[in-house]
Amino acid sequence: MLSVLAPAGRVEALLGNEAIVRGALEAGLDVAAAYPGTPSTEIGDTLGAIAKRIGVYFEWSTNEKVAVEVVTAAAWSGLRGLTCMKHVGLNVASDALFTLAYAGTKGGLVVVNAGDPSAHSSQNEQDNRYYAVSMGLPMLEPSNSQEAKDFTKEAFDLSERYEIPFILRTTTRVSHSRGPVLLGEIKKGKGKGNFKPEEFDQYLQVGAIARKHHKKLLQKLESIERDLGKDSRFYKLEGEENSSLGIITSGISYSYAWEAIKRLGSKAKLLKLGLTFPFPKEIVSDFIEELETLIVIEELEPFLENQVKALAKDCAPNLKIIGKLTGHFPRVAEYTPKIVVKALSEIRGDSLPLDLEKIERRAKLVLERVPSRPPVLCPACPHRATGYSIRRATSGRPTIYVGDIGCYALLFQKPFEIEHITHAMGSSVGFANGFSIATDQPIVALIGDSTFFHAGIPALINAIHNKHTFVAVILDNRITAMTGHQSHPGVPVDAMGEEAPMIDIGKLVRSMGVEFVKEIDPYNFKEMESALKEALDREGLSVIIAKRECALLTVRRKRREGEKIVPFRVDPEKCTHCLVCINTYACPAFVDTGEKMMIDPSVCFGCGSCVAICPFGAIEPSGGAKSWLEEVE
Amino acid sequence: MEDEINVIVSGVGGQGILFATNVIIRTALEKGLNFAQSEVHGLAQRYGSIHTEIRIGPKVKSPLILEGTLDLLIAMEPLEAMRYANYVSERTTIISNSHIVPPQSAFLERFPIPSIDEIKDLLLSLNPRGLIMFDATEIASKQVGDPIVTNSVMLGGASATGILPFSAQDIRGVLQSLVPEKYKESNMRAFDLGYKEVKRILGGEG
Repeated sequence: MLSVLAPAGRVEALLGNEAIVRGALEAGLDVAAAYPGTPSTEIGDTLGAIAKRIGVYFEWSTNEKVAVEVVTAAAWSGLRGLTCMKHVGLNVASDALFTLAYAGTKGGLVVVNAGDPSAHSSQNEQDNRYYAVSMGLPMLEPSNSQEAKDFTKEAFDLSERYEIPFILRTTTRVSHSRGPVLLGEIKKGKGKGNFKPEEFDQYLQVGAIARKHHKKLLQKLESIERDLGKDSRFYKLEGEENSSLGIITSGISYSYAWEAIKRLGSKAKLLKLGLTFPFPKEIVSDFIEELETLIVIEELEPFLENQVKALAKDCAPNLKIIGKLTGHFPRVAEYTPKIVVKALSEIRGDSLPLDLEKIERRAKLVLERVPSRPPVLCPACPHRATGYSIRRATSGRPTIYVGDIGCYALLFQKPFEIEHITHAMGSSVGFANGFSIATDQPIVALIGDSTFFHAGIPALINAIHNKHTFVAVILDNRITAMTGHQSHPGVPVDAMGEEAPMIDIGKLVRSMGVEFVKEIDPYNFKEMESALKEALDREGLSVIIAKRECALLTVRRKRREGEKIVPFRVDPEKCTHCLVCINTYACPAFVDTGEKMMIDPSVCFGCGSCVAICPFGAIEPSGGAKSWLEEVE
Repeated sequence: MEDEINVIVSGVGGQGILFATNVIIRTALEKGLNFAQSEVHGLAQRYGSIHTEIRIGPKVKSPLILEGTLDLLIAMEPLEAMRYANYVSERTTIISNSHIVPPQSAFLERFPIPSIDEIKDLLLSLNPRGLIMFDATEIASKQVGDPIVTNSVMLGGASATGILPFSAQDIRGVLQSLVPEKYKESNMRAFDLGYKEVKRILGGEG
């Protein structure tokens, strides 16, 4: 039994993301749609795994905008809908969401948006709280898994009551932390809805009608601030009531702030905000009125700090406000308990019962001796093979390598170094269009299968129509790999595990009029290299589809079918320690013993692709292993 | 803060760190203890360095540990014990696998990988309360017959330190309930061997 489906009354250990799913189920969720993105992905993964069993519809949509439109239509039909995305996913979805704020909703609609301060798995750290303000969508921010569940459930009711979608904003440390959650009753959804606008122009946004709806939106936000701003479900008041020092915080920062006060023994009172837009002015004014000093503790931008400052001008003009604007807290990267406890102890002069500097000094000598261990492509990864061939085919050419979002972004690393750029979903092909106008350099754009469906297709069409010259390599590993293997339109199965029509990338590209389209197994080095060279030598757009499924899928299937994974080995007689394998192919199974190379049998997947790399033929199968390339042929 | 037990489980992506963490968390849950735990998903799992942080105690709220307040460091790989040096203080017990998994980038960048004796000395320079190091990978490979159960060997070892706020039997029971039937026997054997090995090491120290 999955924890998210455990009976009411039980306490379960849930990830923030799982708690969000449970909250939605307790609210009677009908339809959910999303595009995967860390740290939001497990919401969709969990929904996909349970959807059929509990009668909820879930799909992985081609991108975040489509996902928003899918759930919006459901909500307009009176059903309850949920979509989720990472912070940058909201950029894609924003076009639909800005106008949705005007249109409002009938059924409860929740947009989960997971931020990634520190950009652990992202290209930037953008602070999405400003989106709530500029869109005019109310925003709740849970601090832990229990609140993630409770706020999600509440958000559905509130969304229906105020006829407006609610944003539930998390960050990595809320989405990917586990805590005890007391479960409530799961409620069955309605199943089917019925589309019938209250007024004919309710969902028409144009000119005067849009202005009318804009006005209505502002009125809704006023009511929400009035009703929910002082609603004790959405704020927490703690600490010493009569203290002249106050702390305002929200989200995960609350947990660091609360513990820092306890550790330091500081006398302070603390206000934690669960509703951060509309800004609950009344409760905040009441809180700051009698204070001498206020510390604002929030990650990324001074979002709350600026609003408190504006408010204090009238209600507490002498209040000393400490935060990012005073230089006490950083705007870059996520907070940690250390950042918060250190800042508080410096501001207050309270000393910490712990010599952090001594610990740091001591640790430094150890840390200097630890080699870094960045993520690398897995053993047998087809992207490694593609990267190897691109490196060879472009040797001696002043190539511009444009990368994209996916595991293959790791090809920026040594020894491949074939990504000058990674930027946004689908940007590799978009940039390649521009470089072909701006330069005479050879251009190789790399894009994965899922990313191609998400945002690569419009850019490729642009290249065809506008006659641009570059080589687009579509790395088709038959899955959305980086986020943990979600289905996409190019595979024959959908998010709920049902059979689904598969869009063939090769056929699609040919049908759009690209003349040079080749589909090649990247393990076939010779064919891949010669196709790349041919493509680089010609005018116009060339598309090469490097097609081989993600190695993790292959290995898992083999294990499931009871097939033994037989590693390859290095013949020490033949190995000359030339290091060509490490310096050009760099599989994590390669180990340099100092005198010879060896293959770590506990890491090797037995793909045998490296056999062709060794100039001395020293790599061979151990005990009847067969290369995966031979299996296909 | 009083009454808090802080644990880091570290290693290389693919070494079963999330599973071992889950066993500890579920034991805390079964015992009715409050906890907070964090982990990182996504690209970091791909053979990169990965770790989870576990905090158990009635007043715990933050899923992240304050440097210097670590009670138990469980490292599936010794270089990945060194990486959390910032968290180690006089209250920390380090239990680490001695089987080194060298990162590919170290070969490419010619970064010298410290020997296991150097690693031990470096860890001891942090002045921890205790350092327990043994070859869990060898126990898993040779005595159980599958290196994949190294994490259960380490879990058995960790539960023998007595630092976790529940008994080795409690953890063992949860492990047994979480492992799929097919792998039950090997994992339980791995757990018991790890437990015995650490008891032996601790007994030897007097």
